[in-house]
Amino acid sequence: MKNWVKLGLCGLMVVALGGCGGGGKSDIDPQEVYGCSTLNVYNWGEYVGENVLSNFERQYNVKINYSMFASNEEMYTKLLGGSQYDVLVPSDYMIERMIDENMLQPLDKSMIPNLANLADGVKGLSYDPDNTYSAPYFWGMVGIVYNKNNVDPADVESQGFDVLRNEKYKGHVFVYDSERDSFMMAFKALGYSMNTENEDEIQAAYEWLLDMDKKVDPSYVTDEVIDGMVTGEKDIAVVYSGDAAYILSENEDMAYWLPEEGTNLWSDAMVIPANAKCPKLANEFINYILSDDASYDNSSTVGYASSNKNVLEEMSAVGGEYDGNPAYLPRVGYPKDEVFKHNEVLKKKLADLWIKVKNS
Amino acid sequence: MKKLKSLFSRFYLLLVLAFFYLPILYVIVFSFNDSKSLSKFTGFSLQWYEKMFANRTIMESIYYTVVIAVIATVVSTIVGTIAAIGLSKSRRIVKELTLQINNLPMMNPEIVTAIGLMLLFTSLNIKTGFMTLLLAHIAFCIPYVMLSIMPKLRQMDPNLPEAALDLGATPWQALTKVIVPEIMPGIVSGALIAFTMSFDDFVISFFTTGPGINNISIYVYSMYKRINPSINALSTIIVVMITVVLILVNVVPLMKERKLKKNEKLG
Repeated sequence: MKNWVKLGLCGLMVVALGGCGGGGKSDIDPQEVYGCSTLNVYNWGEYVGENVLSNFERQYNVKINYSMFASNEEMYTKLLGGSQYDVLVPSDYMIERMIDENMLQPLDKSMIPNLANLADGVKGLSYDPDNTYSAPYFWGMVGIVYNKNNVDPADVESQGFDVLRNEKYKGHVFVYDSERDSFMMAFKALGYSMNTENEDEIQAAYEWLLDMDKKVDPSYVTDEVIDGMVTGEKDIAVVYSGDAAYILSENEDMAYWLPEEGTNLWSDAMVIPANAKCPKLANEFINYILSDDASYDNSSTVGYASSNKNVLEEMSAVGGEYDGNPAYLPRVGYPKDEVFKHNEVLKKKLADLWIKVKNS
Repeated sequence: MKKLKSLFSRFYLLLVLAFFYLPILYVIVFSFNDSKSLSKFTGFSLQWYEKMFANRTIMESIYYTVVIAVIATVVSTIVGTIAAIGLSKSRRIVKELTLQINNLPMMNPEIVTAIGLMLLFTSLNIKTGFMTLLLAHIAFCIPYVMLSIMPKLRQMDPNLPEAALDLGATPWQALTKVIVPEIMPGIVSGALIAFTMSFDDFVISFFTTGPGINNISIYVYSMYKRINPSINALSTIIVVMITVVLILVNVVPLMKERKLKKNEKLG
């Protein structure tokens, strides 16, 4: 039964792809070299290049069990439920939390020479400054996308996140429905650290958001924002740089701005859980992802900034896929940009306040 | 006045139908979209179908969805039928109690069942994966099968199997030649419900599956960051398949009946 179905699927792929398996398999015996022949990878949905997985399988003669999650918290719950994976791709603050809780094992750097390809911007990030536990996968910023025809660029550039409190644009603003990203804008607009625990600063940010809610009456959305901006439904939105790059490539009227007050620098990185069954192959996989070819395929398919410096250069160089797209390349070395830190208490507090903002 | 009333009722019906079918129509139209946009139709193309067949994670999730749904339907229908027949012969108090317990998983929010199953598997140290997913699906399908078979058993004349036994049938023959044909409509509808429940289940599957085993629902959910229009293509194919099956289910018995009548006339 199983073979029959697989054969059928393969047949369909032959029609679609013009090849089944394609090319010669390598003659590595993975059992001998790595002690196992399947690799369990847990990554974000729609976060991998079209041929990345199958190329790795062919090259190393192994099978990848690929699963996807939609949020860091969801992935964390799955791990607590006893699921075993070999490679995960959580975000910065979740990696910090997992390191604190001893859930990760150090990378075997002797197996990952491609760490030398890392772009400068993803080196030395506070959650894991020496890449002891993690190897960056994608990274980016949070920036403002706006419609050049309806919004005065001078307003955005001079006001930064405060443009979201500009009554001129009432009813034309998308705000991302997440306490983390919303409070980040407020903290940054007020000149505080986005990881502040100071009660007065939190109160001030809360009032900033209340004021924003009153003045521009934003639509609170999640990922509809991408399609909403592509079709030009509203004029201003705060989005992740990778999504901004996509919006800009689809709609010429849109422009992108990174506020001078600083913003969120984020990174999703590959880690190996402490209970991984196949850590050797996992290290090999991480090295493969950091290679130029795999990184290029990933970044070209997904549109997020690659952690590989050669790919970043190639993509944004003249004639590259993101040539002239200001949102693709993250801002590097700007001291006011910060990485989100894990803080359970603060998160809960902000979540409660955020609900109040939306209901006001 | 009467005319107005009928006009209104027609309009109302139209509204209901539009509410049902517009979303499906929308998905079908956008599966042929030329661009990645989910709200702007830019031109006709088959690229999302092509990409769907080339995408191994989608194909794998279809494979697991179908295999799990088929096995879960077969097993839960057999188990549910046997359980229902057995219950119909047991003492009243046992029967009532079991039926109440049987109803519990259906009334219970799915998330409770899901977390419960996950904790059970973890505490027993069973690795989640294909087997746990299948067991969970069988478990939540059985109550529906039993629920749809019980009324048929109640309607059946209890003297029928006894008469069969009196006339020399073995118990096995009485079961397969008398009881099962009598309750067949219940079994079929139970199996259909089980299949649909298993096919589109997300909550329970999400918590009981393991590395690398995803069904269509889990796959679609994980795409929340960026919807891949291939999913429109996939939905369209499923809609077409279901329409064909529905037409067959409704037309074949009609044709059989007509044939039967013709034969009768001839005879």
